[in-house]
Amino acid sequence: MSEQKTGMKRREFLVAGTAGIVALTAFGTGSAQAQVAGGEVIVVQGSNPPSLDAMATSSGASRNITMNVYETLYGFDEKVNPMPILAQGVDISADGLTYNFKLRQGVKFHNGDEMKASDVKASMERYRKVGATANLLDPVDSFEVVNDHEIIFHMKAKTPTFLEAFSSPRAPAVVIPEEDAAAEAGKTSLVGTGPYKITDYVPDSHVTLEKFADYTQDTRYDGPDGFGGKKTAYFDKATFRVMPEPGAQVAALEAGEVDIVETMPVPAARRLANSPDIAVQQNLQWAFGTFILNMNAPPTDNPKFREAIQVALNMEEVMGIASEGLFGLNGGWAYPDSPYDVGDIGAVDYYNKADIPRAQALLKEAGYTNAPFSLLTDNSIPFHGKAAVVIAEQLKAAGINVVINQVDWPTALNVRLQDTGWNGWTLTMGIEPYLGPVAITATLTGKRPHFVKNDPELEALYKELISGETPEIRKATFAKIQKRLYEFFGIVKLGDTGQMQGLRANIENFKMFRFPRVYDIWRKS
Amino acid sequence: MAGSTRGCAMTADLAAADSAISLRAEMARARRRRALQLLRRLVGHPSFLVGALILALFVAVAVLAPLIAPYDPNKNNYRYVLMPPSAQFWFGTDAYGRDILSRVLYGTRVSLLISALVVICTGILGTLLGTLASYVRPLDGIVMRGLDGLMAFPGVLLAIALAAALGPSATTVVIALTVTFTPRTARVVRSGVIVVQGMQYVEAAQAVGAGHARIILRYILANALSPLIVQLTFVFAVSIIAEAILSFLGVGPPPPAASLGNIIADGRSYIQEAWWIAVFPGAVIAVAVLGLNLMGDGLRDIIDPRQRNER
Repeated sequence: MSEQKTGMKRREFLVAGTAGIVALTAFGTGSAQAQVAGGEVIVVQGSNPPSLDAMATSSGASRNITMNVYETLYGFDEKVNPMPILAQGVDISADGLTYNFKLRQGVKFHNGDEMKASDVKASMERYRKVGATANLLDPVDSFEVVNDHEIIFHMKAKTPTFLEAFSSPRAPAVVIPEEDAAAEAGKTSLVGTGPYKITDYVPDSHVTLEKFADYTQDTRYDGPDGFGGKKTAYFDKATFRVMPEPGAQVAALEAGEVDIVETMPVPAARRLANSPDIAVQQNLQWAFGTFILNMNAPPTDNPKFREAIQVALNMEEVMGIASEGLFGLNGGWAYPDSPYDVGDIGAVDYYNKADIPRAQALLKEAGYTNAPFSLLTDNSIPFHGKAAVVIAEQLKAAGINVVINQVDWPTALNVRLQDTGWNGWTLTMGIEPYLGPVAITATLTGKRPHFVKNDPELEALYKELISGETPEIRKATFAKIQKRLYEFFGIVKLGDTGQMQGLRANIENFKMFRFPRVYDIWRKS
Repeated sequence: MAGSTRGCAMTADLAAADSAISLRAEMARARRRRALQLLRRLVGHPSFLVGALILALFVAVAVLAPLIAPYDPNKNNYRYVLMPPSAQFWFGTDAYGRDILSRVLYGTRVSLLISALVVICTGILGTLLGTLASYVRPLDGIVMRGLDGLMAFPGVLLAIALAAALGPSATTVVIALTVTFTPRTARVVRSGVIVVQGMQYVEAAQAVGAGHARIILRYILANALSPLIVQLTFVFAVSIIAEAILSFLGVGPPPPAASLGNIIADGRSYIQEAWWIAVFPGAVIAVAVLGLNLMGDGLRDIIDPRQRNER
């Protein structure tokens, strides 16, 4: 901390004890190993998937499963660049008003039918109605089927960031059969084009996938790449089990009852570092830890009060405890060394200051008179609850009357949608920072920004961002956005948090990704 | 003559007054004798003695927690996360770097306070409803069927449902457990009151025109309280466990407040890496409940004449 205060580098990963337990295996190196077909792989995760209708939910628990089942026209590759998956490619007109997607031929749905442009059109029109992030199709005026393997998206206006947004896996715009187009959210036949098909779903228990024998591989690639590439299903069956208790998940992994634990507690990972039966993988840039402030409800409607919170917090302590030691101190709103990393802009005077006297002076300036500060959090996602407890103690030390309101995750999501009744909310943002500036800023603008009340300047900057012609222009705009976030303090960046996954050592070729890819992995014979 | 008659009457009044005074004195002496006998029996009963000593120890710990806790129970310290028991941290630390011993001491305070409040509220409500049901016969059916309805739910499940509906707090736990334990307590009181109501001394009191309040308080409850006292010791013990269960499930006092249940809940994810987080508060609950059960058994043996006669 003392280094921080005297001008230490703005970020430093503190992952003591985790070096040496990382078993990174590159995807695509499978050719050097003997692939074994058959058998079953069991993945365990903490939350129940709220829906298996991929386009209707942005839940990570659903995405873990559905991305093995459904596919999109475009998705992200390993380096987060848009890549064609079900599309052969796209021709964008010079004026940016038409996107002509040519489809791969011979791709089959799980029901045996061939995927055609009419299915794509029906899927996109359904996405407009039930898609959890339906606004990503807002720039599209209409869809025109040219022939069975060609469809044109007619745009309302030139939108340079459209293809990136359209490739988002957050609530993916997957292609489903035309027959399902009229189905309400969550009521489709669960038919997709992916290497696995859904055969059984018992809520709060498990989802079973079976290998799709007629899966049409994308032979343009050598192996899987991000959300696309050439996918090969080796396991006959993949089961996703729901186990809320992390300790039980680890015990099941150790006992060999499950093969992959989607979120491995860090202390357990360290304990199992030398186990010959378990391998652990980690990703240090998994999510942003954030603390959202309600700009609509007193006392957080006062900018000086919000500034006091920003300068009072000791991010090292918050992140260290909440992430179990797997974190990076970073006040920026992009991961270090990522394409949109704009450095310390705006953060220098505010991030990780733990400056109680300054906070108290700001509270005085804000005219704070010990009004209760309701800190909303949940006990379903360990990071959230832990961060809330540490933040609460730090804010109490500054003289803020913090009351923790700990509920379950669905309740927290409902409470935060209310205009009042909460002041602060702990949240990890996983998929948004992975997707980049547009996705992050989208959650802070529009009809319902996370901090409830819109900031007009940020709204204008968001429009500037999505209409930026080139990545360089967009990066310059993003620098202004980051600076603005440190001017009105609607959201506090706590730091970057990592994630660990554990697997049985005999599962080969698994590489940690935004969802557990159950294809192109196999069990060593 | 008139004066002589008055003189005789005064003498008779004085004699009657003397007789009443000496009767009261005799009754007071008898009460003291009975109290001394009871005390001797209590002290001489090994179960009761051990239980009472354990309870006294817990009460002392709860009262003195702020003085004897080595650290602030809510002080986070990233550098001391998940430290095993040592000279510095006797019970180790949790995932926040907080001292488990200090949290257990404060947690005992919270758990005992909640349980004591449950006992008091249950005792008052149970006595009121049980007495009402048995003494005012037309109300018997209504009150008891209502209580039967509550008893139809499994106790802890009812408490969880109530606590979930009311939101997490210590008050919620007290309300939930009071509602859960009151029906059984009321039944115990009702049974005792019905038995005592038929006694001749109650009929005698009614015959000489004693008021309802006097009959209930002086003659009925005073003689029907023994089973209630035993029942309340068990309510106390079960409340400690139930409070731990509710806190474990997240409907007890909200964080960062320590209670024995939420300390165990904090440790469940680390049971293999940091066993001390769950084991120490768990052991404290076990010993506290053992003490209360021993005390309750002892009380039952001593107070209940049937048990006494059997021995």
